[in-house]
Amino acid sequence: MTESALRLRGLRKTFPKVVAVAGVDLDVARGEVFGLLGPNGAGKTTTLEVIEGLTEADSGEIEILGLTWARNGREIRSRIGVQLQSTSLFNKITPREALDLYGSYYPRRRGTEELLALVQLEEKADAYHITLSGGQQQRLALAMALVNDPELVFLDEPTTGLDPQARRGLWDVVRRMKAEGRTVVLTTHYMDEAEALCDRLAIMDHGKVIATGTPASLIADLALPSIVELTFEGTAPDPAAFEAALGLRVEPRMDLWEIPTPDPKTLLPRLLEAAEAAAVPFQQVHIRRATLEDVFLHRTGRSLRE
Amino acid sequence: MLWRQFAMEWRLYSRDRVAMFWTMAFPVILLLGFGTIFRDSGGPKLAVVRVATLAPGARDAALDQALVDLQLKVVALSRTEAEARWARGETAAQLEPEGEGYRLRLNSYLMAQAGATAGLVNQAWLVAQARLSGAPEPRRIPIQVESPGRKRSANYASFLLPGLLGLNLVSMGLFSVGMVNVSYREKGKFRRLAVTPLPKWIFLLGQVLHRLTVTVVQAAILLLVGYLVFGIANQGSFLNLALIMALGTGCFMAFGFALSGFAETSEGYAAISNLVFFPLMMLSGVYFTLDSAPAWLQHLVAGMPLAPFLKALRAVFNDGASLAGHGLGLGIVAAWGLAAFLLAVKRFRWA
Ligand SMILES: Nc1ncnc2c1ncn2[C@@H]1O[C@H](COP(=O)(O)OP(=O)(O)OP(=O)(O)O)[C@@H](O)[C@H]1O
Ligand SMILES: [Mg+2]
Repeated sequence: MTESALRLRGLRKTFPKVVAVAGVDLDVARGEVFGLLGPNGAGKTTTLEVIEGLTEADSGEIEILGLTWARNGREIRSRIGVQLQSTSLFNKITPREALDLYGSYYPRRRGTEELLALVQLEEKADAYHITLSGGQQQRLALAMALVNDPELVFLDEPTTGLDPQARRGLWDVVRRMKAEGRTVVLTTHYMDEAEALCDRLAIMDHGKVIATGTPASLIADLALPSIVELTFEGTAPDPAAFEAALGLRVEPRMDLWEIPTPDPKTLLPRLLEAAEAAAVPFQQVHIRRATLEDVFLHRTGRSLRE
Repeated sequence: MLWRQFAMEWRLYSRDRVAMFWTMAFPVILLLGFGTIFRDSGGPKLAVVRVATLAPGARDAALDQALVDLQLKVVALSRTEAEARWARGETAAQLEPEGEGYRLRLNSYLMAQAGATAGLVNQAWLVAQARLSGAPEPRRIPIQVESPGRKRSANYASFLLPGLLGLNLVSMGLFSVGMVNVSYREKGKFRRLAVTPLPKWIFLLGQVLHRLTVTVVQAAILLLVGYLVFGIANQGSFLNLALIMALGTGCFMAFGFALSGFAETSEGYAAISNLVFFPLMMLSGVYFTLDSAPAWLQHLVAGMPLAPFLKALRAVFNDGASLAGHGLGLGIVAAWGLAAFLLAVKRFRWA
């Protein structure tokens, strides 16, 4: 058994007008929960679909569980589980039938009842797919990804469209998968989700991986582990004058200023003093730990979700 | 795996009640409609428009009688009415008085009917003259309408039924099946299947088998209605009929699947399927014979699947023929079907 669950080298995929994946190298170890993080259009879905064999890459190497598409296509398909970003099924198939049917395509399969229970769809087991809510359809898609008892699972935005409770439910499912020794590769826009679930992450932008590491190491690499926020009522004013007085970088956001700092304890008194002197009309002060959002912001100058 | 796929196709299909009803009902409605219109005729009758003579004499009466005796349908009209009908293009042959005698006008667009009518009108004229002069009537060569299998066709509906069975297959294969396939792909309904180990050929074969059984049911209903309403019975063996139908269904369904591999969108498919459907129909020898076409075209046409399929179907159904004389024709159908299926598997894309 090889140690690597997934190995990508120089993966490229170009659509007529866009370079969707511009040379991606990735290594995912067995048993790991690996996150792909990035804004809309970063190339996450394309990367996954190329790996899953749905889209053909222009160039690059893909090794999945030590296998390659050229030689072991059928075996790869039997051993991976896939949740697409959007799963379109026949309108009048029920969750029970879908799980039975898709399960029948595989040499190994998990029981339909067990899967229905796992995603809490027992009540809707016999309702037509078209009558399920968006979140219920999403949960069915997750159950379908697990139908073959896969070693490696790809989840493309598994929590999009889920209510907070269902979202927590999905986190539990992912943690259980990890406990069962499966490897999970997922994409998300949510920082808290990535921090809570992923052992390691890759941050993608414009088809490239711009950083990889554990959530903690990515944040630590910022060397600015804390952010002080001054919030305003309405739009935040221009911070240029205050920035000069303080001698530190101030980043204006919609209704607040952010001041990244390695040492909030000594900054705070100085900051309040300067704010008093310049009569800055702020409402509240918050100090928070830097997040992956700040990592992304720092690396690209843009916010993850806009 | 194939069985499951097939069973699921049926289960999902049976949930779409409206589509299922119309698929089953449409050929029956056609049969009832056309069968009733032409109920009593042994096929549409030849008609001649007779323009009234201003002062009809004994000669006119004799001619009119002879026309009727020769089984022509005589539509008697005044000159103005006749001209109006002619201008609408509805008249194939018009007999009008001219000078001392008559003139027969034939419609160049309806030459098949007009030609046959002209022959009968001239015969009637000879008969009328003989009767007037008291001479013995000229001996006519008797005419008998028959199908090539030597059984007299009972009525038009019985001629229509195998045609409906056959054309329904072609249109289902080329239009419904292929179109459904393309639109499902367009909507991304196959993408989830693409990441499973389900082989394409099983998926496609499951669909072909499903359609095959749909056709069996459809044909059974049509045959039953034909029998109960018009008393049309299959003259040949049901086994042979089923064999031909199965072969035809397989062939034309595979055609649809193969074509769907060449279209990106439903609109594109509509164009492509028409591009194939019309030559297939036109060159099938159903609408006109190609005796005067260049030799290469005739060879090409001889190798097309629709004509031998319809021929074998009619021979068995109407004439009770065995399959003996149709081996080559059915071989052609089977070969096309197999080639189309292989092409379909090769061209099939999940997304
Ligand atoms: N089939 C396609 N044809 C043309 N361009 C495409 C196609 N699929 C994706 N793209 C383009 O490739 C780029 C990457 O898209 P992709 O779907 O991989 O992004 P993503 O990171 O998954 O975004 P999101 O967070 O919105 O899901 C985008 O610019 C997109 O417009
Ligand atoms: Mg995406």
